[in-house]
Amino acid sequence: MTLSDSYAKTIRSIFTDGGALLFCIVVPIIYPILYTIIYNAETVHEVPVAVVDDSRSSLSRDYLRRLDATPDVKVVSICAEMNEAQAMVQHRDCYGIVRIPSDFHKQLSTGGQAHVQSYCDMSGLLYYKAILIANTEVSLAMNAEIKVAQTAANPVALFSGIAGGTEEQKAVMQHPVQYEYVNLYNPQTGFATFLIPAVLILALQQTMVLGIGLLSGTRRGRGEKVKREGNTLAQLAGVALAFLTVYIPISVYEVGLVPRMFNLPQLGNPWEIAFMMVPFLLAVFNFGLCFGSISRKRENIILIAVFTTIPMLFMSGVSWPGSALPSFWKYLGYLFPSTFGINAFIKLNNMGAHFSSIQFEYVALWVQCLVYALLAWGATKLVHKSKNTPHE
Amino acid sequence: MYKVILRELRRLATSPIYWLCLVLGPIFCAVFFTTLMDEGLPTEMPIGLVDDDNSVTTRSLARNLDAFQNSQIVATYPSVSEARKAMQKGDIYGFYYIPRGTTHEMLLQHAPTVSFYMNSQFFVAGSLTYRDMRMMSELFSGAASRSVLRAKGAADGQIVPYLQPIVVDSHPIHNPSLNYSVYLSNIIVPGLLGLFVLFVTVFGIGVELREDTTDELLAVASCQGTCGKIGTAFNALYGKLIAQGLVFHLVGWGIVLYFYGYLHFPCYCGIPVMLLVMSLFIAACQGLGVLMICMLPTLRMGLSFASLWGVLSFSISGMSFPVMAMPSWVQGLSFLFPLRHYYLLYVNCALDGYSLFNAIPFYAALLLFSLLPFLFISRFGKVMREVAYVG
Repeated sequence: MTLSDSYAKTIRSIFTDGGALLFCIVVPIIYPILYTIIYNAETVHEVPVAVVDDSRSSLSRDYLRRLDATPDVKVVSICAEMNEAQAMVQHRDCYGIVRIPSDFHKQLSTGGQAHVQSYCDMSGLLYYKAILIANTEVSLAMNAEIKVAQTAANPVALFSGIAGGTEEQKAVMQHPVQYEYVNLYNPQTGFATFLIPAVLILALQQTMVLGIGLLSGTRRGRGEKVKREGNTLAQLAGVALAFLTVYIPISVYEVGLVPRMFNLPQLGNPWEIAFMMVPFLLAVFNFGLCFGSISRKRENIILIAVFTTIPMLFMSGVSWPGSALPSFWKYLGYLFPSTFGINAFIKLNNMGAHFSSIQFEYVALWVQCLVYALLAWGATKLVHKSKNTPHE
Repeated sequence: MYKVILRELRRLATSPIYWLCLVLGPIFCAVFFTTLMDEGLPTEMPIGLVDDDNSVTTRSLARNLDAFQNSQIVATYPSVSEARKAMQKGDIYGFYYIPRGTTHEMLLQHAPTVSFYMNSQFFVAGSLTYRDMRMMSELFSGAASRSVLRAKGAADGQIVPYLQPIVVDSHPIHNPSLNYSVYLSNIIVPGLLGLFVLFVTVFGIGVELREDTTDELLAVASCQGTCGKIGTAFNALYGKLIAQGLVFHLVGWGIVLYFYGYLHFPCYCGIPVMLLVMSLFIAACQGLGVLMICMLPTLRMGLSFASLWGVLSFSISGMSFPVMAMPSWVQGLSFLFPLRHYYLLYVNCALDGYSLFNAIPFYAALLLFSLLPFLFISRFGKVMREVAYVG
């Protein structure tokens, strides 16, 4: 079979085979949108909390008002006692309880320390994070004001001579060293910004692997005889070109268009990203050929490819920090193009890194490309041999 | 029916793909996620330091920051742009910047500003290094105030309340160490098991169609022709489901025992309740699987349906990103995923220790899913008798 025959045949099968059409065209178009819709709120706002105000003073009400005013939490109920608040958590009407102690006002007025208790439901870490951040911000803001407002009466301030100081001196006393911080590349620490780039790249890989697996499974399932005079290399090149014909537009859509549609960060130079995608797509194709030859029956490939998706996501070091990956899993992750593809794409697209920053990933993708090509070539030769020998 | 069960068990034992989906896959996933997140909370994540001041005070700040549990200063950079490049390269997750003259200004009481940057693109790493660096900044500022106040003669007992009048005591209930494995493995591993249950249910029925063994199956199930159409279909379907369910129960219960018995994940309801929840979940996934293959009675389409639905369930269950932040139609859709109910039951029972009655709706939902096959018995019989394998 010549290159052009094999190319035409593969294109035809992608568009006529239900499974291949579904996984190579429909899923890559719909799933990125679906996932982005799920995560597009970026972060959770207005987490419902119940409060128990044992102090019932002007200061405690001030604290709770400010808490309610934060974007992170919403006070849904002011409960008379802890039991009532606990019942609300139990019925999932709220995800946390903030309790103001009875001596809140007294402590603050007499130069003591008041302990606000915050209890969080741990069913999701984002609830915890929201409640923690809201309380931290409110307490820090109030602390600063209390220090200034009460300086006149505070024994420490009187002692230290700040009581009579200027406003500037008081401000310095509050914060002798100021600090500021910047959330780089994901200013609102959002979920879509964090997860979607990885999902996009992984979707490209897994759907292509499935498509290749399904098609080669079909050929073997039909017991199709491969003509011996066919040039293995030309035939493989034809299939590769066919998949690239389909996957280059799909990649442009997923990597270029989907982030734009949902206003996700796009800091990279499109040409650099395209340049990075070349070895990625080739490596995925060769990987898919090898992966597809594991299984003899076409449906089996679905079983294997689908469940490995989630472990692959974790091995890429995005969900779980790469520095904390046990080395065994880390190096196992090096077997998959997604590991390098995701990291390279995130660096270029989301972190606006220079191309030199992805040198390691770029080289690794080419190495994978080469190694998997050799393996796939060997496997195909082996298959041809075993298929053709009995007919001789 | 027992003949069908025996036949199915024999089929399960002799096909490698079943071994993969029933036993090896779920066990691999359980081991993978629990060893991957063995640390619980990532520690010693690499951060950088740009210290343009380089005084005794700032060096002690760096040392203290290094001593924090979650982060570790792995490198010092001569300039902010060098540190940024290292961050873009992925060497560090954040860096702390101390400008020249910080100590001097501090002594003059000019309130200098230090700053820190973290890579929030990596969500977990960014959040944790942020926490450490912010805490360090507060402590640094506090330490400076304290030394001034001390010098002026205030007692320590007076200084601390003055510097921090309101303290927030945070209590993460039942997961005090913020163990990520408890938070993620508890749902991802059963979720993958659910995916395998869907697969095997769909595959087990679909493969009969593909290999044209439906007549044989119906013959075994027909109790020598005395059962009638519905009875035969019932025997065939439930025989298969019971055989597969049996193996899945062994694996599912194994996972529950591994989590709560061996790894000691929080389980305030006692292990038997979680075994029950796991059984319900397995039955629910089997029910959903029967629905899938009966709606799309070819192996390929059934499996595609199962995999697309199964993969989506991880996101839509709300275990990492809360369902309440999703669009309302997605919130409604989430109840069609057994994993969502499993997650809510797990939170209710194992994590929070409330009684099962507190979560009646989710319990009922899983039961409904598991009753689905009843609705599809006649459809199943029809599929087995009439649909020829295509493709």
